[in-house]
Amino acid sequence: MALIELVDLRKSYDGEVVLDEFSLSIRENEFITLLGPSGCGKTTTLRILGGFTVPDSGKVLFQGEDITNLAPNKRNINTVFQKYALFPHMNIAENIAFGLKISGKSQSYINDKIKYALALVNLKGYEQRSIDSLSGGQQQRIAIARAIVNEPKVLLLDEPLGALDLKLRQEMQYELMRLKNELGITFLYVTHDQEEALTMSDKVVVMNRGYIQQVGTPEQIYNEPENAFVADFIGDSNIADGIMLEDYYVEICGRVFKCIDAGFGKNRPVDVVIRPEDIVIGRPGEGILDGVVTSTVFIGMHYEMCIEAGGFEWVAQNTVRHPEGEHVSISVIPDNIQIMNKPQSEDEEAISLEEVLGEEGEQG
Amino acid sequence: MKNRRFLSGLYLVLVALFLYLPIGTLMVLSFNSGKSMSSWQGFSLKWYQEMFSNQEIMHALGNTFTIALWSASIATVIGVLACIALNRMNERKRSFFLGLNNIPMLNADIVTGISIMMMFIMFGISLNYGTVLFSHITFCIPYVILSVMPKFRQLQNMTYEAALDLGATPVYAFFKIVLPDLMPGILSGFMLSFTMSVDDFVITHFTRGAGIDTLSTLIYSQLKVGVRPTMYAISTVIFIIVLLILVVSNVLTSDKVKKKKKDDYKVSARFTGKRLFASTAVFVILMGLCVYYTVSVGKTDSGSSTVYVYNFGDYIDPDLVSEFEEETGYSVVMDYFDTNEEMYPVIKNKTADYDVICASDYMIEKMIGENLLEPIDFRNVPNAEYLTSGIRSVVEDFDPGMKYCIPHTWGTYGIAYNKSLIDDETLRLMESGEISWKILWDKKYEGQIVMTNSLREAYMVAAEILGYSINTTDEKQVSEMTDLLIEQKPLVYAYANDNCRDLMIGGSAALGVITSGDVLYARDANSDIGYAVPVEGTEVWTDCWAVPASVGNREGAYAWLDFLLSEEAAEKNFEYIQYAIPNTQLPDFSGDPVLSPSESVLAKCETLKNLGTEGDDLYSRYWKKAKDNK
Repeated sequence: MALIELVDLRKSYDGEVVLDEFSLSIRENEFITLLGPSGCGKTTTLRILGGFTVPDSGKVLFQGEDITNLAPNKRNINTVFQKYALFPHMNIAENIAFGLKISGKSQSYINDKIKYALALVNLKGYEQRSIDSLSGGQQQRIAIARAIVNEPKVLLLDEPLGALDLKLRQEMQYELMRLKNELGITFLYVTHDQEEALTMSDKVVVMNRGYIQQVGTPEQIYNEPENAFVADFIGDSNIADGIMLEDYYVEICGRVFKCIDAGFGKNRPVDVVIRPEDIVIGRPGEGILDGVVTSTVFIGMHYEMCIEAGGFEWVAQNTVRHPEGEHVSISVIPDNIQIMNKPQSEDEEAISLEEVLGEEGEQG
Repeated sequence: MKNRRFLSGLYLVLVALFLYLPIGTLMVLSFNSGKSMSSWQGFSLKWYQEMFSNQEIMHALGNTFTIALWSASIATVIGVLACIALNRMNERKRSFFLGLNNIPMLNADIVTGISIMMMFIMFGISLNYGTVLFSHITFCIPYVILSVMPKFRQLQNMTYEAALDLGATPVYAFFKIVLPDLMPGILSGFMLSFTMSVDDFVITHFTRGAGIDTLSTLIYSQLKVGVRPTMYAISTVIFIIVLLILVVSNVLTSDKVKKKKKDDYKVSARFTGKRLFASTAVFVILMGLCVYYTVSVGKTDSGSSTVYVYNFGDYIDPDLVSEFEEETGYSVVMDYFDTNEEMYPVIKNKTADYDVICASDYMIEKMIGENLLEPIDFRNVPNAEYLTSGIRSVVEDFDPGMKYCIPHTWGTYGIAYNKSLIDDETLRLMESGEISWKILWDKKYEGQIVMTNSLREAYMVAAEILGYSINTTDEKQVSEMTDLLIEQKPLVYAYANDNCRDLMIGGSAALGVITSGDVLYARDANSDIGYAVPVEGTEVWTDCWAVPASVGNREGAYAWLDFLLSEEAAEKNFEYIQYAIPNTQLPDFSGDPVLSPSESVLAKCETLKNLGTEGDDLYSRYWKKAKDNK
């Protein structure tokens, strides 16, 4: 049975819908990430789960029990806030002990827990320090320690690494994964950083404008985006117009590519997603399409090149540099071609998203 | 370079002097053993001693600080609650309500004071301790909101939610997490309110009831005759207390800055744990004392054993009050006013209920006309028989048959002269009582004449010369008198009221228009000074006791009146205020033009009457013309 079940949540502020028909099932011991641009409704979802916001409609089930209207202090859920929200007038030990004192734990238990939690977040011996004497990363770890000593079933993390610099952020990502494995509790993580989401999560929920776009493992999300938004949001990609000639064959830029997709019907217009690193560059005539390199930029680890071929500008990444003006050919192996249904109009985009949502709901 | 540094230093010194020299002077003078405002007569703490042994001052001190503590506490609670609500509002609503909050602060104190007073009167609430407290709370709330609101805005809502998230109930989270963060703002709001309350004069003045004085209103009411050095002592004490409070509140609010430093955790912990407990305990004790004090004020102020007296400032020997209390068993609550015009609305609107009031002749007449006074039952005031026949005839002018009032002091206007500065002929006329007001128009005394600066008295002089009534409202006569006053202008050394006597004492002037009440004082200081009532006649004035129609303790009022007419009281009062007291038990002063004008002089005297609005306007218009004429 699922640990948490969000059923058909809907929330609007001043007539503006920020969350609609949102259903999600979260299993025990899962690291699940809500990913999307700002304003996509991910933080609202988190607040509904934490009890800080009541949805207009829909239910929150926790181990089968309806907790939609339960006060935050009565939930076995703890949150790590975006700006840490440590109590500035208390020292670190007092911060960590806050929840334990309320639940009436003995002093020796509390002391043990503080020690344990500080060891867990690699801040041994920091008990008496003041909050202001800590760096951002240390404060973040204290916030985590403060939450986990209460042994929640679920830990909610609201963009906890947003305020940290890149290096620290990467360190903390591994730290979080380690913590999750050691604690064995469910993490619900909110971020707008796709790399973070793909690195840490067991399951990623991509959201946009209050709707779920896709739910899946990081690999599924990256390799098999279900629509253009997901494809575009998760990493760079070439999204080209194509026609599905028949199962396993798609025509792009007037050339036929082999692919592994089936079931789209015959001669149907589709969107084709090809990741830049999946474009194989060869000598002219050796690939499927011939073209000219129009720009080359070194972006660390590899070169990013624009190749004009078949009337389309392809973005390709490769560790081998091809100078500007060089004639090349491009090809893609069938596994790396992702076919998506094309929305007939802009309106249909939204409708098709709802269909996706509906399916997800049924699955959950 | 050196020069510039010197100049900037000088500038700083000057600014500091401007700011602190006045209060410094006052503080130094409070330790002066003499009464002088200008010369140092040795160090002494006697004014402080006098201050602490003076019941009135101590009472006012108690009122001031209990009202300040109460109003600051209540306003702080209300203000913080209001901030919680404001914080929850959306931006638009909040700025609207904050605007509403700010308007009362921009309002002039006098407008606030009068409007609060009017509101109380309209709802039939009689003014007392509670009304002062209410108005202080009212004007303190905006200041609390103003100093707490920014702290609320700075507050990360996150910490509150984090506390809830960790299992705290909303109430626990507020007190444990939100409040400590707000504390500097709340404290400074409290301190600000406290000082505002201690400082306030205007609003208190309008909303206080009988017997309720704070330090500021007490000082003001005692200013009438002159500042006693005890007032310097209280002012010094107030200044130091307010200063201390400001320093403390500044230290407390600057914690935020200090906290930024590493390892300064202890300072920021000020509001938690034991410190919070200790400061709460101190606060509770203070509030307890406050409650006790307020309750005891309520007790002494009620009941029929108290007589409420409304009097001119310093117009009675203070010892007499305690003697009266001892003798009769009544306790006396005395309030002071400065002018008749200040007293009149209080009685008319019943903003405070007094049993006995003191008022001047024309005001008595006006109040009789408006049924504001109660006829006195003279059977209960047997000592009234000691009133002199002379005064009885004067009273006829404004209270025919002397039914409503009992004269307290009286006097005439006349010419004060300095024997050494006038010629023999003038001196002879003065001493024989044949002098004319026209001497003030005599060119030989050019530059040596002090003319009265008070409108009615100046026109009185002119009216006497021209043979008109001093209460005329005939525009032609007024115009004529104005011309006469203009004609006198080149000869006048100074236009003065109270300080006429000082100019005469110092020998700056030879002749001056003066009230007989000031003559004794002047004569004591300079034996060359004499006084004459001119042959044309003059104005006679009487200040009387009367019983308002709204009297609560009639027996007490009569006991007070009878007591003041006793020989002992009359003597003491005469020695203290040195005004003529029309009591036959006093030594016979007949023949002394100052203390006892002869029948023939009195026959030529007139009492000032209320002229009504039109009459007042007429005189004001012409008086302005006379003064503006160059």
